[in-house]
Amino acid sequence: MKDYILMADAGCDLSAEFQEKYDIKIINGHLVLPGKGDVPTFMEWKDVSREQFYAELKKNPNDYATAPPNLTEYETAFEPYIKEGKAIICVTISSAISGALDFATTARKNILAKYPDAKIKLIDSLRFGPGFGLMLVHASMLRADGKSFEEVVKYLEENRNRFHQAGWLDDLSFVAKKGRITHPKAFFGQLAGIKPIGEFDAGGLTTVLGKAKGAKAAYSVLMKYIEATIEDPEDQYIFIAQTSRYPQAEAYKKMIEEQFNPKAVYIIDVFPFCGINIGPGLMAAYYVGKPISEDLSAERALIEQFIAEAK
Amino acid sequence: MSTKRINGIHLEKMIKNGLANLQQHEEEANRLNVFPVPDGDTGTNMVLTLGNGVRYAKSSDDAGAYLRSLSDGMLLGARGNSGVILSQFFRGFAAELARSPIIGPGELRNGLIRGYRAAYEAVVHPVEGTILSVVREGIEHIRTQITRNSSIESILSMYIAEMRKTLSFTPEMLSVLKEAGVVDSGAYGFILIAEGMLKCLYGEVIDPKELPQPYTDAPVDLSLFNENSEFADGYCTEFILQRLVNSRYQQEFNKEDFISELRFFGNSIAVIVDGMRVKVHIHTLYPSKVIAFAQQYGEFLTFKMENMQVQHNEHDRIVEQKKEHKPLAVIAVVNGEGLKTLFSNFGCDIVIDGGTTMNTSSAEFLEAFDKVDADAIVVLPNNPNIILAARQAVELSKRRDITVVESKSAAQGYFAMAMDIPDSDDVKFRISQMQSGIDNIATVSQTVASRDYSYHEISCRKGDEIALLDSEIVSVGSDYVKTIVDTIAVIPDIDDKETCVLFRGRDVPEEREEELYELLSSLYPMMDFEFIDGGQEIYHWIIGLA
Repeated sequence: MKDYILMADAGCDLSAEFQEKYDIKIINGHLVLPGKGDVPTFMEWKDVSREQFYAELKKNPNDYATAPPNLTEYETAFEPYIKEGKAIICVTISSAISGALDFATTARKNILAKYPDAKIKLIDSLRFGPGFGLMLVHASMLRADGKSFEEVVKYLEENRNRFHQAGWLDDLSFVAKKGRITHPKAFFGQLAGIKPIGEFDAGGLTTVLGKAKGAKAAYSVLMKYIEATIEDPEDQYIFIAQTSRYPQAEAYKKMIEEQFNPKAVYIIDVFPFCGINIGPGLMAAYYVGKPISEDLSAERALIEQFIAEAK
Repeated sequence: MSTKRINGIHLEKMIKNGLANLQQHEEEANRLNVFPVPDGDTGTNMVLTLGNGVRYAKSSDDAGAYLRSLSDGMLLGARGNSGVILSQFFRGFAAELARSPIIGPGELRNGLIRGYRAAYEAVVHPVEGTILSVVREGIEHIRTQITRNSSIESILSMYIAEMRKTLSFTPEMLSVLKEAGVVDSGAYGFILIAEGMLKCLYGEVIDPKELPQPYTDAPVDLSLFNENSEFADGYCTEFILQRLVNSRYQQEFNKEDFISELRFFGNSIAVIVDGMRVKVHIHTLYPSKVIAFAQQYGEFLTFKMENMQVQHNEHDRIVEQKKEHKPLAVIAVVNGEGLKTLFSNFGCDIVIDGGTTMNTSSAEFLEAFDKVDADAIVVLPNNPNIILAARQAVELSKRRDITVVESKSAAQGYFAMAMDIPDSDDVKFRISQMQSGIDNIATVSQTVASRDYSYHEISCRKGDEIALLDSEIVSVGSDYVKTIVDTIAVIPDIDDKETCVLFRGRDVPEEREEELYELLSSLYPMMDFEFIDGGQEIYHWIIGLA
């Protein structure tokens, strides 16, 4: 039963290779880049290297902006498949940080008016970047296993909160500035040597659960955190996202491979659609594990314990 | 001459003479401060501490009562470690004599003993060869010789002689003194006070110098009472009336009747009669009526009147200034505009300007505690010299919800703040995060020596570039960069350090950041460097390595 389409916006950070392998259709959003104006989102580094991009972004963050695919773009993306009689599961970047879901919802309504039999399911991933991408990969694997449209929808709705993030964002100025994290002043800017450790929360944002002093302490906390929350690691693909923290991601990958022996660990770039809003300081692993508690209390307790042990 | 007993009035004169004697030699005591960084001169700190006590103290015949108020004022005004130890000595002294209106030889002996014990208790790790040894040996060596017949003069003479003996040994007890060829400055300061007190008994009164202005009595802002103000609080009126025998004045005087009459004019009435003198305190809306009434009996020796509405408005203003309620408030002491801004931006609720010397008094901490409205408070002293004063303030405040995170430098304070998680509801966790912020932070400070100095292998001349690791001088030279590099190199776990935060001092050109960065990043390629315009006064560079 592979007669339905998996669709997502550029917030999933799946490169062309992953898109092809897992047959995921991408709807491009918009980027405003200095000197270039409005350009479509892209998910490979062509005109600019990752390092260059983030270095420039760090210097002039106000010259950059992002926007989700608009109404027409969603409709245009949906329509050809609907005409072919295919159902669509469209997963969107967390509604807490983007209006993508709103546009998709209206687009779906319009399509349904035109094609009353159309089957489109919209799902708020409550994730962004490679955490969102990993969710799509899981959906695609289920589809490849012959799971039905309904089964995959049910899986996504019931298991969203099992997609974890274990990592740090050591430059919070971007999330703070874009209003994508609720924080007092103390969180602004880069805090030299301090690694704020965050996890996805029920609202679709990340919440800082603790801070570690230095990368070494942070790695030790993160490895313990993964161990305490992951399920069946040997059956998993683990994604490591990094905006401009490649060497740290490589070190992390090695540790994860040694300790958990998963099927594979991929270092995933965060492309501009998410990157502009996250800034250069992200370094985090994404995996499937125990459901994340509604108020993060269980996760907070773990992080607090591991931070105390890391001292 | 031989005095067997002294009352509060005698004692006050003696203490004031002790202070005057200390002030006369203040600079001498400062010069004994061997360390070539001028932050916290002992003589000045002791003068400020005792000075605040004298200013605060209420004159009384009762020696115990006088001492109590003196000691309260000293505890509040205590600055620097020597000031805190001095205030604790007086606290013990006052506690012992709390019920002694008159001090005789036995009381004096017991007071001096209790005083030194209290001083020892105030310090976590008492160091011998300091004021502590001097006040202890001074009395312990003579206590058995004190009898009922001993005069106060003889006790103080013996006490001072013994203390001088111990003082001369302080270099043997504390090698840093020996190498510098000096005696301990705090001990010297204490002896000056005792000598001033003895001189007073011999009639040798030293002209008091003007005391530096107190910070606890901030000047009242008179603009708070203006053409639009309501007047409802009246005047605080105080005077001493000298009754006169001249028949123009009413001769019959009955204290109870006098008070009943005063009740027509106001409240908060206190009347003390001392022979033909009457001291009056009253809050009244109509001072003219009080004056006319009192003048029937005599004339005014002194007269003081204050508009209480101004004070009331001032109080309201302070209350208004109180910050919004928070689960956790942070109070930090820093010096320098850049650092002040940084700590405020970090979410620090009150940033106390430590001034050049970073010697904040306990009273300043107490005032800060009052200004915040929080379930718990964290204090970041950011200097080893004011940790004691901060702890003393916590003790005086009688609050259990205040934690002094003992940051010894602005760099440690920075990491404590950076580790805080302001959006966590778990205050205990936040405090432990801040506490962990100061662990394993090496602080390198760089400046120019303010005096000649010698200790162990290290010696420097005034004007040399010097760099310190935590509070010990490690490197001396003519090139500031080299002193920094050499000092960083001796950090025992330098290979484990990942981050280096550098606070640039006020008079240091910005270009130097580049210079330092190039050299340090080539030496430590794996380290992250962060430069911050600290603007601090004494240290050209404060560098934290985590």
